[in-house]
Parts: sequence; C-alpha cells; structure tokens
Amino acid sequence: MRAAWLTSPQRPVRWLLSLGICAAMTAALALLRQQLNAPTVAVLYFLPVALSAALWGLSAGVVASAAAFLAFNFFFITPYYSLLVHQLQDLLTLIVFLGVAIFVSQIVGRARASQAAAEAREQEAVQLYELSTALARLRQREAIAALVAARLQTVLGADAVEVGLRSETDNPEQTVRRPDEASAPVTPPHWVVPLLTARNDLGEVRVWRLRQPLEAGEQRLLYTFTSQAALALEHASLEQAEVRSKVLEESDRLKTALLSSVSHELRTPLASIQAAVSSLRTGTVDWAASARAELLAMVEEEVVHLNRLVGNLLDMSRIEAGALRPQRQWNILADIVQGPLTRLRRAAENHHIVVAVPDDLPLVPVDHVLLDQVFTNLISNSLKYAPAGSTIRVSAEQTGDQTLRVQVRNQGPPVPLEHLGHIFDKFYRVWAADRVTGTGLGLSICKGIVEAHGGRIWAENQPDGFALTFTLPLAWEGHPPPQLPPEAEA
Amino acid sequence: MSAPLHILVIDDEPQILRALRTILGEKKFRVSTASRGEEGLALAAAQPPDVVILDLGLPDISGLEVCARLREWSQVPILVLSARENETDKVAALDRGADDYLTKPFGIEELLARIRVALRHSAQSQSPKSTLITAGPLQIDLAAHTVRRGGAEVRLTATEFRLLAYLAANAGRVLTHQSILSHVWGAPQADQVEYLRVYMRQLRKKLEEDPGQPNYLLTEPGVGYRFMTDS
Repeated sequence: MRAAWLTSPQRPVRWLLSLGICAAMTAALALLRQQLNAPTVAVLYFLPVALSAALWGLSAGVVASAAAFLAFNFFFITPYYSLLVHQLQDLLTLIVFLGVAIFVSQIVGRARASQAAAEAREQEAVQLYELSTALARLRQREAIAALVAARLQTVLGADAVEVGLRSETDNPEQTVRRPDEASAPVTPPHWVVPLLTARNDLGEVRVWRLRQPLEAGEQRLLYTFTSQAALALEHASLEQAEVRSKVLEESDRLKTALLSSVSHELRTPLASIQAAVSSLRTGTVDWAASARAELLAMVEEEVVHLNRLVGNLLDMSRIEAGALRPQRQWNILADIVQGPLTRLRRAAENHHIVVAVPDDLPLVPVDHVLLDQVFTNLISNSLKYAPAGSTIRVSAEQTGDQTLRVQVRNQGPPVPLEHLGHIFDKFYRVWAADRVTGTGLGLSICKGIVEAHGGRIWAENQPDGFALTFTLPLAWEGHPPPQLPPEAEA
Repeated sequence: MSAPLHILVIDDEPQILRALRTILGEKKFRVSTASRGEEGLALAAAQPPDVVILDLGLPDISGLEVCARLREWSQVPILVLSARENETDKVAALDRGADDYLTKPFGIEELLARIRVALRHSAQSQSPKSTLITAGPLQIDLAAHTVRRGGAEVRLTATEFRLLAYLAANAGRVLTHQSILSHVWGAPQADQVEYLRVYMRQLRKKLEEDPGQPNYLLTEPGVGYRFMTDS
C-alpha cells in the first residue's frame, strides 16, 4: 500500500537510498570532472536531490541536499578532497546550491505528500462507495451487520470487528463478529463507535486491533462506515415496518370482505328458519301434515347449512392463522373416501358417484379428518355444479415413487379460463351466488389443507367436464413407511 | 314400569339444557342439569344417574377432569359432547373412560340411539354377557370363535377374530385406536395405527357386502372404529 511509505519505521531506509543515489551521481561526475565546470556540476547535483524528494519524501530530499552539498564541496571545489573553500565565487555557488536544493526538496516532497493524501482519500471514497452499494441491496439487519463487520475488518486490518445490534424486541443484543472463527475477544475492544441515527440508538461497532492504534484517516473511515451502517439499519427497519402495516391493511380488507359475505350468508338461512318456525307457531293457521313436514325439513336443511358455514369459517381462520397442523398417521386412502360418500349419500341421490380408489395403494401419511374434509368439499362442489343424472368420478393413482394423485371429475360445464386460476381464492364464485348456495370457501379450504400436507391442487377443464386434482406426498419425514403385518390365514 | 331412568346433563349453555330437559323429559327420562363441573360431580354423587351427558367445555373445571373424577368411583355411562374441531379432546375423553361422543350440533335421534347403546352396555356389564352377536347377515359367536355370513362360515385369522370380537362385544360404541390396539395387540403396538387399518380392511373384505361402503364396521375419522348392529 502506498500509504505505508509514509510511516516512520522505513525512514532510515529511505535516507540510505537517497545517500546511495548521491554517491552514484558523485561517481559519475567524478569521471567527467575535467570536462565540467562547477555550475554545471551544481545543476547536475539537483537530480538526486529532486529524485529523493519525489520518491521518498521531504526528509530524504533534505538528506540528499546535505550529502550533495558535501560531495560537491569535497570533490568538485578546489582545493579538491577538502572542505575548504578559497574563492568567494565557489562559496556563493555552494550556499546557493544548498538553499535551492532544500527548497526543491520541499516543493517536490510536499507535492508527493499531497498526492499520497489524495490517493488515500480516493481509496477511502472507493471503499465507501463499495460499502454503500453493497448495503443498498440488503434488507436484513443481520446481513447489514455482517457486511459492515467484514468490510471494516478488511479495511482496517483489524484482529476482530463486532457489530452489536439492539432493538426493543430482542433484549439480549444480537452480535455479529468477523472473522467468524474468532471467539469473543477477552480484552475490551480498542475502539467502540455507537450506531446512532437521528431517532434511535441501534447498537455499536467494536474494533480490536492490538498491533497499532488507528490513524486519523482510519478513524475517519471507521466513523463513516458506522454511520452508513446506522442509516442502512434504520432504512431496513422502516421498510419492515411498512411491510407489516401493508399486511395488516390487507388482512383488514379481507376481514371486511369476510364480514360482509358472512353476514349475508348467515342471514339467508336464518331468515328461512325464522319464517318456517314462526309459521308453525302461529295459532291462526291449521297446517296440513305435509306442509308441517315441509317447513320442518326446510329448517333442518338450513341448520345443516349454517353449521357447515360456521365450520368452514373456523377452518379458514385456522388456515389463515397458520394454525392448521395435520395430525398425520399412515392411512388407507380408500378408507378416507368412505366417510364423505356415506355422509353425502342423500345429497348425491341425483348423481352417479363412481369411486376408483384402489385399496392396494401405498399407505399415505395424512390427517384423516382433514382429508375427509377435502373429499367432502370436492364432491359437494361437483354435486352443486354438475347437472342431475351425470357421473362424478373419484379416482386415485400413484404417480412416480413418492406421490399420490387424486382426482374428482364431473360432467359439469367448463369453467371459463379467466376464472380457473381464481377458483381457489376465498369468496370467489364462478357462477352468481343466487344460482348456487355456498360460502365460496370450500375450495380455498381444500387448497389450505392439501398444501399443509405438502401437496398441490389445481383445476382444469376436460373434454367432457371439469376436474379438480390434487397430489399428496407419500413420504413422511422421520417416519419410514410402516412394515405391514403379513396377511396370513389362520 | 319401574322408576324412570335418570339422566344427568352437565353443560354450561342454558339453551342446550333447556332443549335436552324438554326433549328427554318428553321421552320419559328424569333429567337433572348442572351448568358447572363441580356442581355436576356433586349431583352425580347425591343422586347416582343412569347416564351422564357431559360437555367438554365447562367454565370451572374441564370436561376431561369431570370424566376422570367420575370414573374414580362410578361406572355410569358417560356421553361426551364436543365441538367439531376438537378431535384430540374427544379422543382424550374416550381414553379417560367416556363411553361415547356426539359432535355438536347433533340430531336428537342420534342422541337417543347413543343413550340406548350406553344403557344396554351398562345393563350387560351387570348380567352375564350374551356370546352371540347378530348384525344383518353376520352372526358372531364369541364363545365358539366362529363367524357366519348369511349362514356360511367365514374364515378369519386369529388376530382378525380378536379384533372383530372386541368391536362386536362393544357393539354400537365407538372404540378409540388406542383402546383397540392395546386390547387386540397388547401394549407394544399401541401406537401403530396402520396395523389396525390393514386388519380392518381385511375384515371388511371378508364381512361387508361393499367394503368401500361398510354397513357394520364403521370408521370414526380421527377417533377410531364402531361396530354397528342395526343400520
């Protein structure tokens, strides 16, 4: 590094070097002594002086000036090989030479020093620029701290640099240290600089460098780096706060949508129930047995509907809150399909349901209750949209080593392409709400459950209808597939 | 007719108490009600009931605790009421001695059927058990270790028979995975539900007309199995 030449330990070396070139010059001039007069020699002696000052700084220039003055006097002023001077003219030459030589050294030396300082500042600017471009890409507090610690450690050649982050939420401060392998140094740090912004105290930067104290330039660099880091940290925390508030806003918007949808959905069945029950209770009308039965059946249907609605809302809120934790067990898929089929038997009176779920499929690690619900929702969905008399096909097959693919296919109308990608969204209805009853939650619950099991669900139009398909992984981390008991006859 | 059977309902919701008091009263049961767990336990001690209907969510002590404390001194059948989303509570209550469960909201026919099963089992535990169990075309002879379907003998493995016998002896009641596994296989296998599933599949193949839509060997999702005699 250029700046190292300025530091004191090498000064004697530089003086020796400048003495060396003076000696070389003297030797060269001595060979030509007969051809040269004193003024010419004086002019030529400026060469080693200027060169020393330029290469090794002011002090080397002065050393060269003194050496050249003595050598000039000793070898080239009569009487030779003595420092005596007889002629006034020679004395003047010598004095002027010494003055000019020192002056030249000073000028050249200063130029050199200011050039070195300029280079050092340029270097600093480059490092700062690199730091700020690198910081601009970072959003994580830990990443920012790690970057600053690593850069400072390199730039200062420090033994260790530690960035301690404070925040209101995590009480023990978070520390990032570079180099990584350094355990916490036992000595107190040699420098500590707080990470301050206009609003907050975000922590501090600690530097250990035993070898040598920080110079002014290095200290300046440390402070600049630290303030850059503080700015980046504050920026990151503001950005995170903004993201949080956006999430809150979004969830607020969803809640409003939910409330308006739910209050409508809740009131409709409540209205029918109230109408039916108050009709039955009025003493003025003598209802025929069939009319009574009809009204009561309506009440029961609406109650079932309300219960399903509330169940869906609960499931949805658990999925949204990330609280849906499947209670996995090794299950037989064919067993799971049974439940929904039995329960939907009455609702499915007008459809043919064909089940093609081989019972020799591998056991699948799923939550029975949740998967039951997926089948219930998918089959109910088909019952709602496919015309009476049509066939609904539930099938499953193993695809690849580790995946089961399950499909519920109906002969209902195709879903317009622009709706296909949205049918798993909450409250999304392809057809107007007055044509089909429902909450608009069934399919998004299926999606939540399937994804909680590590699967994927999608919808597609088929030549003769519409299909909802999902996959289930057969692997369950930490649980090897069970060894099944042998199926021996007694 | 003897004195009416006594049903104790422990639930903190006044509307449920009101409905059950009316409906069960109409069915000639004597109904007492409690809206807190401690109160229910005190009532059960003062006037031993024939059946307890117990809600799991009580304001003072949990339904699970009521269940456990009742079992310390009484074998009275306990029917647990629970909300749909609490599968684990249901299973926990059954494993602590409850006899059966109903998910709220429930139909009254369902409730009456469960009460009948519970009463039948508690009556049986006091008299010698019948060793012949019939369900549709199925005839299970627990003493002779034979199973007939429509008159023809069905060959079962020893494990299959033990499983069927345990389910059939508790006909109408739900049995948890844990309880079946420890009764049929013994303790070491008690967490290997997949064993149970495979054997149930085999039993259904041998006994059910349509193994995919069983009439007798029913699955209770997340809880266990139930053998139905009248369906």
